Amino acid sequence: MIGMHLTSIFQRSGLLIRFNLKRDWVKLVLWTVIMAGLLTVIAAKFDGIYSDQTAINEIVKTLKTPAMVSLFGAFTAQQPYTTAKVFATEMVVFMALFMVVMNIMIAVATTRGDEDAGLLELVWAHAVGRGAPLFAGVSELTLLNGVIGVLFGAGLQVAHMPGADTAGNWLIGFALAALGWAFGMVTLLVAQIADNAGGTTMLSYTVLGVMYVARMGTDVSHPHLTWWIPFGWIEKIGAYQANHWLPVLMYLLLGLVSLGFATGLNLHRDLGAGLLATRRGRRRASGWLRGPASLLWRQARDLMIAWIVGNLVLGASYGSVFNTIGDLAKSNPMIKQLLGATALAAANRLVVKNFIAILAIVMAVVALIPAIQLMLRLVGDERKGYLHQVAATATSRWHVWAAYSGWALLTGTLVFAAGLLGMYLMGLTNMHDPIGWRTYWHVFAAYLPAMLVMVAFASLLSGWFPKWRFLAWVWVAYGFFSLYLGNLIELPKWSKHLTPLGFVNKVPVKGVDWSTNWWCLALTVLLLIVAAIGYRRRDLAQ
Amino acid sequence: MTEQVPLLKVNHLQKRFGKFEALKDVDFAIYPGEVFGFIGPNGAGKSTTIRILLGILRASAGTATFFGRDVWKDSVAIHERIAYVPGDVYLWPNLSGGEIIDLFLKLNGEKHSSRTDALIKKFELDPRKKARTYSKGNRQKVALIAAFSTDADFYIFDEPTSGLDPLNEQTFQNEVLRLKQRGKSVLLSSHILSEVEKMCDRIGIIREGRIVETGTLTEMRHLTRTTVDVQTVRRLDGLDQLAGVHGLTVKDGTNHVSLAVDADQLTTVIQFLTARTLVSLTTTPPTLEDLFMRYYETDTQPAEGK
Repeated sequence: MIGMHLTSIFQRSGLLIRFNLKRDWVKLVLWTVIMAGLLTVIAAKFDGIYSDQTAINEIVKTLKTPAMVSLFGAFTAQQPYTTAKVFATEMVVFMALFMVVMNIMIAVATTRGDEDAGLLELVWAHAVGRGAPLFAGVSELTLLNGVIGVLFGAGLQVAHMPGADTAGNWLIGFALAALGWAFGMVTLLVAQIADNAGGTTMLSYTVLGVMYVARMGTDVSHPHLTWWIPFGWIEKIGAYQANHWLPVLMYLLLGLVSLGFATGLNLHRDLGAGLLATRRGRRRASGWLRGPASLLWRQARDLMIAWIVGNLVLGASYGSVFNTIGDLAKSNPMIKQLLGATALAAANRLVVKNFIAILAIVMAVVALIPAIQLMLRLVGDERKGYLHQVAATATSRWHVWAAYSGWALLTGTLVFAAGLLGMYLMGLTNMHDPIGWRTYWHVFAAYLPAMLVMVAFASLLSGWFPKWRFLAWVWVAYGFFSLYLGNLIELPKWSKHLTPLGFVNKVPVKGVDWSTNWWCLALTVLLLIVAAIGYRRRDLAQ
Repeated sequence: MTEQVPLLKVNHLQKRFGKFEALKDVDFAIYPGEVFGFIGPNGAGKSTTIRILLGILRASAGTATFFGRDVWKDSVAIHERIAYVPGDVYLWPNLSGGEIIDLFLKLNGEKHSSRTDALIKKFELDPRKKARTYSKGNRQKVALIAAFSTDADFYIFDEPTSGLDPLNEQTFQNEVLRLKQRGKSVLLSSHILSEVEKMCDRIGIIREGRIVETGTLTEMRHLTRTTVDVQTVRRLDGLDQLAGVHGLTVKDGTNHVSLAVDADQLTTVIQFLTARTLVSLTTTPPTLEDLFMRYYETDTQPAEGK
């Protein structure tokens, strides 16, 4: 490596960059349009939602509650409150999550994805520098984040929110871009540690998950500790107020350091190798491994367990703030004398239940991610050729379909239950007056049928329209968007009814609507039957 | 052999992907105890045909039956009696080769046997390595070991040896001959002509989605030409006017030529030559390569040749 000159290490990077852009342009344009469009449209709408000072003061009060702080980050802006300051709190953490997800996806695909597919071997065999593929990936990510950052800034300028200024607009744009870029570089580093695409994705999301939960904890208890968590730096920009550029610099530094390590490891490792090497396996299959269901379990068990544990932890971390949220007397000592101890307890419980009703949506959407992923893996495994050989054995199509659909439905159920269990257990240990298991059971019973409809829809797409399977993701993303943000940006009621989750009756504040549950379950069964028929009838994807 | 009932019967099979006609007319039959070579250029429709036979793809028109049952409707019952090795073997990256072999056996209702162990040894596979780290040849070995240790009635191999070294290829050929001796039927799609020549009883040639020729190698040789190198005492005027003579080239020396002769005109041509008193005569039977090249070339009329 010593004899290699810098120019030769990066030889033909330009060619690779052009090739990557040509291959990925649809993906890149879609992300850019959706991200920039989302931020701009919401910013433009904000003016209408929080038009007068009373509305603004009202939402600021809400945003200062620990529940909202745990979701959106600490509200640090000073009086006088403006629409722009509300926006800066509500939207920044939310958009930051999407930025990180986008960067993980693109970074994994452009590095380990190509390597796993054997493309990198072909590329390296040509007169292309050792570091050129990595450099091409870096360039693609830099370009993507740069363009999105500029569009964010420009979009905010156009939206022209009351209280917004040019400096704050561009700060939000560039801070989000810098955060996205930094996490893209972190993913490139992770890609050198794990030795395949699946492992890289998993490890990257673990990093994100740990940071997200950690910042939630510090935001609620000691906001200054959030400085220790890179994902939390974005909350420290104080847009439209102090306008700190320090977090932007810190992100750039984090990205550069990660990139430095990634490059070092990349230039020294073998193709297909990583720091975490693949271990040897068993000589013979265990008695358990005997059909499509146990085969899928072997493939996906790490993923399933990780999601269950992850959601349990997420639930528990939300549960840890229940005590603070559900203590009205803390913020207003007079309230106890006014209401009396019993009424106060009831009021406290209602506050917590309201919070649980919002969290239920987060939990349901989080649980839907692995469920849909497993369901669509049916088509993915066909395309990769794994299922062709299974189809040539005495295993029926129905059996294969049932294994994937069954695991998808079960995983969704378990991950959702784990999240609620986490909240319940944590609430039990740290609340003076814990919320009983019955409440969580109601949440479970109310949301599960709606979730199952969405998984069954993914099954239907896999059975009949495998090329359109991405629509399952669109539906989940829409469900999250319309319900998590829907109330804050006042979407019309019908727009929430475009997803079955929107029909759920604000449980546990209100009771479980069993008629909704029954039609959701009936619809699930119907969709599954139609899906099974379709899967029996079509060609396997190749 | 033709009096027997065929195990596999393919009748005017067609397959369309959107507007593209992958198979236009595929028609052949395979009988018990027969090794059938399925050959044709890349993209001719070999794998598509095999995938239809396995119920992975659905035929647009025509029928195909295994053991008298429809390949699509009765696929599960049929697959209990079939073993298959695809051309590109994709294996679950986090399972070891040993696990995958056992899984394939179980999926067909069979078990790991002493025969499986013997095959693992013969093919020199390390069963504890994860599939992610296997080379193409090793992945093919995994599928081959699973197939050979399955007790099926019909074996389908789709270009199974493209990644194997010569020693393993020899092992493969021995195993196929063993199946043949035990009265099993084999459908072997291959580009390796020596393999086909050595093992196949009959051959079907597919081109652009159509079966253009089926028969034994001997039968096919009849359809082709013999190369003749001849020197005579008297002049060979009029030789190029004879029916069935192609590619006449004059060589060094008097009355020395080489030519290709259609099999059915061989007698007439040789009589013509002998009548001019032979000095030397060498005939070379057509090689398989010649035979295949004629069909592989894009020329639409196979009988015209090169």
